[in-house]
Amino acid sequence: MGILLFITVLLIAACGLIYELIAGTLASYLLGDSVLQFSTIIGCYLFAMGIGSALSRYINRGLAYRFVWIELLLGVVGGFSSALLFLAFAYTEGFQLLMYALVIVIGVLVGLEIPLLMRIVRGRYHFRDVIAHVLTFDYLGALGASLLFPILLVPYLGLVRSAMLFGIINVAVALWSTFLFANQLVKAPALRAVSCIVLCGLGIGLAQAKRITTAAEDNIYADEIIFARDTRYQHIVLTRFKDDIRLFLNSHLQFSSRDEYRYHEALIHPGLSAIPAPRRVLVLGGGDGLAVREILKYPQVESIDLVDLDPEMTRLFSTHPMLTALNQRSFSSPKVHITNADAFPWVDSNPDSFDFMVIDFPDPTNYSLGKLYTTAFYKAAARHLSAQGLMVVQSTSPMFARDSYWCIAETIKQAGLRTYPYHVYVPSFGEWGFVIAGHREYQPPTSVPAGLRFIDVRDLATLFQFPPDMAPLAMPPNRLNDQVLVRLYDQDWKDISH
Amino acid sequence: MTVSRRRFIQSASAALIGLSVKSERPIAGSFVNESFEQGHLLRDRASFRPPQQAVKIPVVIVGGGIAGLSAAWRFENKGFRDFVLLEMNEEAGGNSRWGENEITPYPWAAHYVPVPGPNTVYVRQLFEELGVLKNGQWEERYLCFAPQERLFLYGRWQEGIEPAIGLSQKDRDQFRRLEEQIHTFRATGTFTVPMEPGLSESTAHLDQISFADWLREQHMDSRILHWYMNYCCRDDYGATTDRTSAWAGIQYFASREPEEKGPLTWPEGNGWIVRRLLEKLGSFVRTRQMVHRISETKQRLSVLAGDTEYQTERVIFAAPTFLAPYLIDGIGPLRDFEYSPWLTANLTLDHLPESYGGDPTWDSVFMESPTLGYVDATHQSLRTHVDRTVWTFYWALADGSPAQNRQLLLRRDWNFWKEAILHDLERVHHDIRSCVSRIDIMRMGHAMARPEVGAIFSPERRSLTKPHGRILFANSDLSGFSIFEEAQYRGIIAADRVMRALS
Repeated sequence: MGILLFITVLLIAACGLIYELIAGTLASYLLGDSVLQFSTIIGCYLFAMGIGSALSRYINRGLAYRFVWIELLLGVVGGFSSALLFLAFAYTEGFQLLMYALVIVIGVLVGLEIPLLMRIVRGRYHFRDVIAHVLTFDYLGALGASLLFPILLVPYLGLVRSAMLFGIINVAVALWSTFLFANQLVKAPALRAVSCIVLCGLGIGLAQAKRITTAAEDNIYADEIIFARDTRYQHIVLTRFKDDIRLFLNSHLQFSSRDEYRYHEALIHPGLSAIPAPRRVLVLGGGDGLAVREILKYPQVESIDLVDLDPEMTRLFSTHPMLTALNQRSFSSPKVHITNADAFPWVDSNPDSFDFMVIDFPDPTNYSLGKLYTTAFYKAAARHLSAQGLMVVQSTSPMFARDSYWCIAETIKQAGLRTYPYHVYVPSFGEWGFVIAGHREYQPPTSVPAGLRFIDVRDLATLFQFPPDMAPLAMPPNRLNDQVLVRLYDQDWKDISH
Repeated sequence: MTVSRRRFIQSASAALIGLSVKSERPIAGSFVNESFEQGHLLRDRASFRPPQQAVKIPVVIVGGGIAGLSAAWRFENKGFRDFVLLEMNEEAGGNSRWGENEITPYPWAAHYVPVPGPNTVYVRQLFEELGVLKNGQWEERYLCFAPQERLFLYGRWQEGIEPAIGLSQKDRDQFRRLEEQIHTFRATGTFTVPMEPGLSESTAHLDQISFADWLREQHMDSRILHWYMNYCCRDDYGATTDRTSAWAGIQYFASREPEEKGPLTWPEGNGWIVRRLLEKLGSFVRTRQMVHRISETKQRLSVLAGDTEYQTERVIFAAPTFLAPYLIDGIGPLRDFEYSPWLTANLTLDHLPESYGGDPTWDSVFMESPTLGYVDATHQSLRTHVDRTVWTFYWALADGSPAQNRQLLLRRDWNFWKEAILHDLERVHHDIRSCVSRIDIMRMGHAMARPEVGAIFSPERRSLTKPHGRILFANSDLSGFSIFEEAQYRGIIAADRVMRALS
């Protein structure tokens, strides 16, 4: 009986850990930010186990009977946890609530298991041996589960079926315990009958798991749109396909999570790294917090002012877990000050000066947005540059909108600034262009923050070279009273689509 | 039982009526800036109280429109400060007055100044002082933002007001020929802004014929061309081409270079200029001071306004000249001064109509309309997002006689004009009523001088451009038409003459 008892301990330990791993993996998978998800889930789970252990002292009678019930409950809750979470994510808003509730319920039940079991077997062994053996097998079970999970379970069974399988193991333990502790049990036949029914249920679940995941995933991904809202200012749409999150404002792609690091590293580091001691940074536009994420890689930057028109946008990127995972909660930094305002009047009336200014507006698709690409705007913006200051301007594609790109560069130059145009390749955008501008001369930096995935100081100079098909064109500047850029941009994209 | 049922039906139908009234959006508003009551006191030679106090001051400027303010500006710039400006209304500004609500400032009448050419010296000087012209560059934010103008015709919008779509070969030929003619006139250098320096007897014959007749003489009979010429005359002179001197019609086109993208404009129109001038000159201006008599003794002039007698050396009479016979002793009735009655309205829009069509534009004109369309006051805003706005609606009552139209303006109530404006807008914006929350209307019986046939070279008018004893006339109507540059020029010339005489 001894060895069977300890195998029981090993199995229930494995089950408990598996449920925890499943919750962590699912949350990371669906919400992103795995560090946050695993930390909070492990924390909740261990805390709930503590509650379970504390509660165990209130169970005085019918220990074996209650142990069997706990195993049955764990089998059901744990076994269906993964399927439930998938469906909750696909069909409801309450995914996180359900996830933490499940983690806590499972934690409490698991926390009850070992204390009860030790008390059940207390009379048969020395206390010293009970502690040693039970804990040994408990940890062995944990090791087994943590190895099995990534190597076999996730790749071959998937999360839904793994949970079902371990639910079945929990119920099997329940069934087996009715024999193991038969002498301490009343109503053993009834418990066995219940166990068999639950086993059947889990068995059916295991067989049907594929259909559950397909249904959930269809609902998550068939309609790829995971967020759509009309704000006062724009139509915001977030889509997701597998691990690629895309943001569209008024149907224009703003970023793809697969390659946005290329865009945002290129937007920030060539300019910001070239400033000896940047302290104050201004971001105009950039309500997704991705540019701010890059700026926060400079510890010497003391404050970042972000001006974005749409409060819905900055709120979304401050709170939505999938999006804060992407911008690494950049808006939560105490250095960041968000103002929701129209950029031109703000720039016109604000008296502050900045060492680095990021001008990251939507493309000039209409005359309203076109105002933000005029000599008048850049003149007003240039008044905010400190002596060492530089600005960088998102300037459309020098490849697909070559006229527009060089028109923007000319406009900045006509505003009285020195201009340094450069371009990078962002797969979801194609070739994309920026202009660094300032009152002073600009030299590409000789170092950039560690850990960048795209910008490399050794290749920086090449970004400023334009091959013949993107080479400079003589263009008139864009002015408030004569917005050539809006017409050029319209024409550039018409030329591509025809 | 019967009673209660009847009551029920009554209250239910009352509720239904209440609902239906509610669904029809109420539009508030009133007539504003009314001044004919005061004007009619003068016309009817009402008796005024004798003055209670006397003020001795070397110069009095009568009228606080652009002419009067420009005279004051000239004085101040030359260091001459012994003058006072008397304005009848609550606010100075004349045709350049403006209003303001929680959305935006907006114009009440004059709302732009064409980009002045190199010879329009005084306007350039003023604009340099106001920061509009810097180092030979026009400040971009004061130039009209793109897109500037659009015309609704054949059920769609086109960019620009000169018809460009649906033209036949004949139409095109006639537009081209007119352009060539205008080019020739321009090259003579006799059509200038302001008009006085260039005015030449060699063009006097053009003042003896209407613009409509002149066009016909040139074998220009295109309906579209005539519509456009008519629009231009209504816009600048408040008159149709058959009531406009050909000289004035030609002046409209030949006096200006095909300019750089303009014009200069501000949310409150030319009210912005008034605002800036008043910052500097406000201390010289006395508002609500209606001058009711100007008389000349051997030593000096006496100007009676309210309860004050101003004893003065010189008067610059910058108010509309047609008032002179009613105010100035010894001035007989004037025959050659005709004025166009106008109506302007400011409409508060809580949102743009669904039927707006295209990009937000500064000036929108409908081809088949007796009105002049509307100007968007928030167009000069630097904001990228504008949801509420104010439209200034312009309507020169050009068809028919000015006297009859003045009667019409006075006789009809606010509701009549409100409906007339909404009907006109509904030609193009069927859903306009659901957007508008307020319509304020300004009626002007004598809004602008009308250059009728013979007006420009009229001996009566020409004689008043010269000093009249110690009184100098300065209103833009001395030029025969009311535009900013003429008003400013007349005011400055009068100020210069006064300073020469007094020094």
